[in-house]
Amino acid sequence: MHAIERYVRPGSLEEAAEILRAGNVTVLAGGTDLMPQTHAGRVKFQSVLMNVRRVPELRGIEEHGGVVRIGALVTITELRESALVRERLNVLWQACDHFASDQIRNAATLGGNVCNASPAGDTLVPLLALEARTVLASKPNGSLETRRIPLDKFFSGPGRTLKKPSELLAAIEVPLPPQGFVGEFYKHGTRPGLDISAISIAVGAQLKGKVLNEVRIAFGAVAPTPIRAPRAEAVLEGREADAATLEAAAQAALGEIHPISDVRASDWYRRELVRNMLKRVISHVGQL
Amino acid sequence: MGDIGSSLIGKRIPKLDAPDKASGKTRYIHDLEAPGALHAKILRSTEVHARIVWIDTAAAKRLPGVHAVITAADVPWQRPIGVAKDHLPLKTDRVRSLRDEVAAVAADTEEIAEEALKLIKVHYEPLPVLTTTDEALAPGAPQLHEGHANNVAMTFDYAQGDVAQGEAQSDVVIEDVFRLHYVTHCCMGVSGVIAEFDPGGSLLLYSNTQVPFLHKREFAEMLGIDPGRIRIIQPPIGGGFGSKLDVYPFEPIAIFLARITGRPVKLLFTREEEFLASPTRQPVVLKLRSGCKKDGTLTFRTVETVHDNGAYTSWGATTPFVMMQTVSSLYRVPHCKYHTAAVYTNNPYAGSFRGYGNLQATFAVEAHMDKLAEAVGMDLLAFRLKNAQEPGEVTPQGMHFKTCGFKQCLTTAAERSDFVAKQAANRARWRDANPVKRGIGIASMLHVGGGAKIYPSDGCGTILKVDDFAHVTLITGASEIGQGSETVLAQLVCEELGLPLSAVSVVNNDTDITPWDVGVHASRTTFIAGNSAIGAARKAKAKILAAAAAKAGVPVETLSLSQGFVFSENKKLFELGKFLRGLHFSDRAELVMTTFYYEPPSKHQDKQFKGDVSAAYAWATQACEVEVDTLTGIVRLLKVTGAHDVGRVLNRLGIEGQIEGGMVMGMGYALTENLVVENCTVKNPNFRDYKLVTAPEMPEMDISFIETMDGEGPQGAKGVGEAPAICMAAAIANAIYNATGTRIYALPFTPENVYRALHGAAQAPAWGKAA
Ligand SMILES: Cc1cc2nc3c(=O)[nH]c(=O)nc-3n(C[C@H](O)[C@H](O)[C@H](O)COP(=O)(O)OP(=O)(O)OC[C@H]3O[C@@H](n4cnc5c(N)ncnc54)[C@H](O)[C@@H]3O)c2cc1C
Repeated sequence: MHAIERYVRPGSLEEAAEILRAGNVTVLAGGTDLMPQTHAGRVKFQSVLMNVRRVPELRGIEEHGGVVRIGALVTITELRESALVRERLNVLWQACDHFASDQIRNAATLGGNVCNASPAGDTLVPLLALEARTVLASKPNGSLETRRIPLDKFFSGPGRTLKKPSELLAAIEVPLPPQGFVGEFYKHGTRPGLDISAISIAVGAQLKGKVLNEVRIAFGAVAPTPIRAPRAEAVLEGREADAATLEAAAQAALGEIHPISDVRASDWYRRELVRNMLKRVISHVGQL
Repeated sequence: MGDIGSSLIGKRIPKLDAPDKASGKTRYIHDLEAPGALHAKILRSTEVHARIVWIDTAAAKRLPGVHAVITAADVPWQRPIGVAKDHLPLKTDRVRSLRDEVAAVAADTEEIAEEALKLIKVHYEPLPVLTTTDEALAPGAPQLHEGHANNVAMTFDYAQGDVAQGEAQSDVVIEDVFRLHYVTHCCMGVSGVIAEFDPGGSLLLYSNTQVPFLHKREFAEMLGIDPGRIRIIQPPIGGGFGSKLDVYPFEPIAIFLARITGRPVKLLFTREEEFLASPTRQPVVLKLRSGCKKDGTLTFRTVETVHDNGAYTSWGATTPFVMMQTVSSLYRVPHCKYHTAAVYTNNPYAGSFRGYGNLQATFAVEAHMDKLAEAVGMDLLAFRLKNAQEPGEVTPQGMHFKTCGFKQCLTTAAERSDFVAKQAANRARWRDANPVKRGIGIASMLHVGGGAKIYPSDGCGTILKVDDFAHVTLITGASEIGQGSETVLAQLVCEELGLPLSAVSVVNNDTDITPWDVGVHASRTTFIAGNSAIGAARKAKAKILAAAAAKAGVPVETLSLSQGFVFSENKKLFELGKFLRGLHFSDRAELVMTTFYYEPPSKHQDKQFKGDVSAAYAWATQACEVEVDTLTGIVRLLKVTGAHDVGRVLNRLGIEGQIEGGMVMGMGYALTENLVVENCTVKNPNFRDYKLVTAPEMPEMDISFIETMDGEGPQGAKGVGEAPAICMAAAIANAIYNATGTRIYALPFTPENVYRALHGAAQAPAWGKAA
């Protein structure tokens, strides 16, 4: 294990950003990724361990002017218990409902899930479908600054993002989807709970009669990062989910994914699942 | 206790150790601290197969806090261990698998020991690797062990009748190859040991072993000391399931370190180590050929298997003992032939595991029962009933079924699960549009239920003492490994002595105190130790009643023990405690202490594997109902209906727990558990990727007990420990077939494997090289 020289727990965003600016900091939120990773030797602690759990600015779920701001420290349990999330961001709510187990959900934060940037991260897929953006805070020249990166630009590889080491993820912003927007999240694991997604799918659309509009499709665990599938979306846009359209959308999606084989699934099986389950999920959405 | 004659048998009795376990008070080996103990860690090989050129321990020895760093060179007196004595605890010049022990450290803390391991340098010269039995059997393959030119560790052959004649009489003959996978026990408590020598050189070992008395002898031979100077204490054990039946290298290594340092040494596995270096249920490729006549009469069965033995031989190699019983005697088959070769590879090595080969054999046999029935157009249940064993049968292998509830098991499980009607309804849905299918499958099992005479003796001793407050101490050779034996033994004693359960304490974990026993295996404890406890209790009862008869001047036949009193007919004569004090403090003082040794009337099998190996046999039928999503391959087990011939229910709560747990273990074997070994390397040594069944996956369970009241069993009971795990995979395979029309010959039925099979993308098991 690497030596942690200093443990700090800032009480404000300003203070946290200041500590980050000095460098060599490991950020600790719920620790549900960080601790197993350091334990297994895949991640090394920096000399300063910063527990951000007492930073009040990183908490809370609120809606302002059509945008829902979710603080980075909001736990999966809090998301799952939020009426706003359940009613207006239901596809995210579904992902939280399929996330790990109670114990993990109580500790795991949304910010941790986003910063960990696993291709299989369960909230990332619905967040992509909801066109969310990250809010990053830093203190480059003595004053607090924030910048926003749309989530579909944020991930640069497995475990890698555009967030700089001096930046803290402050929040995720989600524009409220239009009225009548419905969605479904599907996670393929071998068991109902406590499993890492072999693939995951989020589909959202606005239904006019049976016609799908504003179609958004995102996938997890089939590429180096979670991805949107614009070509599959284009196939469906303005159409009804009949058998031929579903097949065409699935074929388009297969051209957009790059799955690998690992201990959880082969690339072949991941492709088969994407094809079969995308069709199933879209036809569910088409009937909501 | 209620009226005179009221009984504890069949009641729901919470396990005696449950309050301690539930409240966290139980002190497992992890919680034991020997004052002054050092902590040990093992350095394992980084090469699958290699020559050890040199080992440099100098830097590790210099690390402050390190007390000893040892390699084979430091213990020239070590001796080979294991069933075939084919490996040394610390490897000398060669490693044959990634789990191989190369060096070991004892230090002030686990962390220091861990650091020291990193400082040990080992230079290896890689050797060619044998990743599969096919590679190991190929001509010119490197030889893994002296004296095993073709890498065959052990072979087993059994024959009855003449299979050629059987085949000639058959109207239908089928042949298939089945492939069974690796799983491991996943005990909640990881392996561990504390070794300590006293100044006189006697060894005290805190060990989780399932066989303390046999291991005492093995350690004594290794250390060159008198076995009488070895004392083994078993702390409460966090799960066994067969994993603790052999001596594994970590125990001698801890003993070496304790001897060399003169300090107590504690060695505990990490969870990862538990996955990498504890025994497995081994992969088996099994070829089954069988036939029947048009009327459904079975004619013959030929089985050939190749067992991947791994790098060394432990009990896994001997699972054919049990497999051939299922092949020859679950159903009546006149002609049988059985052959197994256990083949050395560089893979993790195989131990014993609940069911002992029976899961694998039953998987194949019950698949063929379905297929043969279908081929002759018979109902699956009727076909089985036609060939099922009956009470009184002596099979060609020599097993005598004095009681046999097999047919009742079949009909009960079928009726309670509505098997026949559901089968038909599910088949009718094969071609409908719904991609989610339903299936029901049935499978049965035969297993030893009255011990198994695999050693010349299969006995167990008891010492029983009744104190002057009528409190009983039951000292038994039988170990408690979580199966609830303590409770059942106490119950049996209370039943004889007419005492409440609270009047009995059980001592069962110290070889200096407890009388001899063969060990916990073969579902034998309730049966063997139970009979032994009853024997001791009856002797105590006879002693008490004789004294009471003398004192009261009445015939002894009129006396009985109940509710803590000596009764004469229906009248309380003496309060038992008071009466015993009277005995004790009289001028002819006497204490009530008895001993009993029970040896079951079973036989050691002959060289042809024939003989009545168990004093009783257990039967069960399980019907499994599944839902199969053909678009994902996910199989959900919805319901298990089990009918078990258990002889008699002793502790209803205990036996339900045992059966439910076994069903879930069998379900894990079928659906989720898979130790992924690629290139001799375990790829998923953690609970994230090695998937045990979790709470939301639990099926509905409907359990019926068929009480055949075995004449030899304690109060009529038979062993049940292994039975419930045995036919789950077979029943689930049959259910998947009933749901989809696809028969899958390879385990496990994980979503991807099932999906591949359903969509023609699976590689069917192939019969490779036979030996
Ligand atoms: C048993 C188990 C089951 C799991 N199941 C699932 C599952 O079903 N689905 C799933 O998606 N994940 C799962 N995970 C992974 C994990 O729980 C989630 O990714 C979780 O959301 C991580 O959040 P955390 O608060 O624990 O992050 P931490 O472990 O504290 O941090 C994760 C990473 O993000 C960084 N970080 C955290 N917060 C910030 C911030 N505000 N600003 C900058 N950097 C930050 C940390 O430095 C670290 O590198 C599971 C983990 C375990 C142990």
